[in-house]
Amino acid sequence: MDTNRLKHLRADTELKRDLWPDMRRRLDERTLRVSLLDWALIAAILATVVAFPESALALLYHL
Amino acid sequence: MTELATLERFTAGDLVAFEILFREFQGPVYGWVMRIVRDRGAAEELTVETFWRAWNARARFDPSRSFGAWARRIASNLALNHLKGRRPPPIADDPSGAATMDPAIAGETRAAIERAFRELPAKLQAAATLALIEEEPYDEIARGLGISVGGVKSRVFRAVRILRKKLEWIRTD
Repeated sequence: MDTNRLKHLRADTELKRDLWPDMRRRLDERTLRVSLLDWALIAAILATVVAFPESALALLYHL
Repeated sequence: MTELATLERFTAGDLVAFEILFREFQGPVYGWVMRIVRDRGAAEELTVETFWRAWNARARFDPSRSFGAWARRIASNLALNHLKGRRPPPIADDPSGAATMDPAIAGETRAAIERAFRELPAKLQAAATLALIEEEPYDEIARGLGISVGGVKSRVFRAVRILRKKLEWIRTD
């Protein structure tokens, strides 16, 4: 291979912008998503306990 | 050199320590990924993905080791997966805008070389691009890709064999 020819194909590897805002946004999104799932789970458990009060005992037993 | 205390805080889940590491290593990680994928947008996305995975795996990181090397390994795996999932795009769509065109190289020749590299299997493409185009030392490539120097040489050798076959018409010009 003629490496002199290949040199001209080198990539520009300099980062042109700060990526921290993207990273921060991603971290926040994931945190929110997990939090929503947690709330949904709590709501489902509460609804089950209200609808079927006897299930509370079973739930406590498993805890 | 990153302070041990920062790395220890990172492994404990300290977001401020993570930001310090991110700001220190985003450039090198981006540069490494860019050398492999040669697409600015993809390299930026993969850089963020690298740090996202590093953050999620922080508890498994040994603070006495090099964060940069660890991040580079994660980035290499992501970059290879990216290459595997990417079909060679038309040369005209190349967004890298990376290299400056040398008048000595005809556009057709350059396009053929780029395409030949992109059509290589991902592992060969990464090793060949880093060794032949970017001229990274073999031991550096080996560390980055998580393979032995012999493994790098073997991949480059196989890549060159394929490239020679594909680009034979250039050599005969």
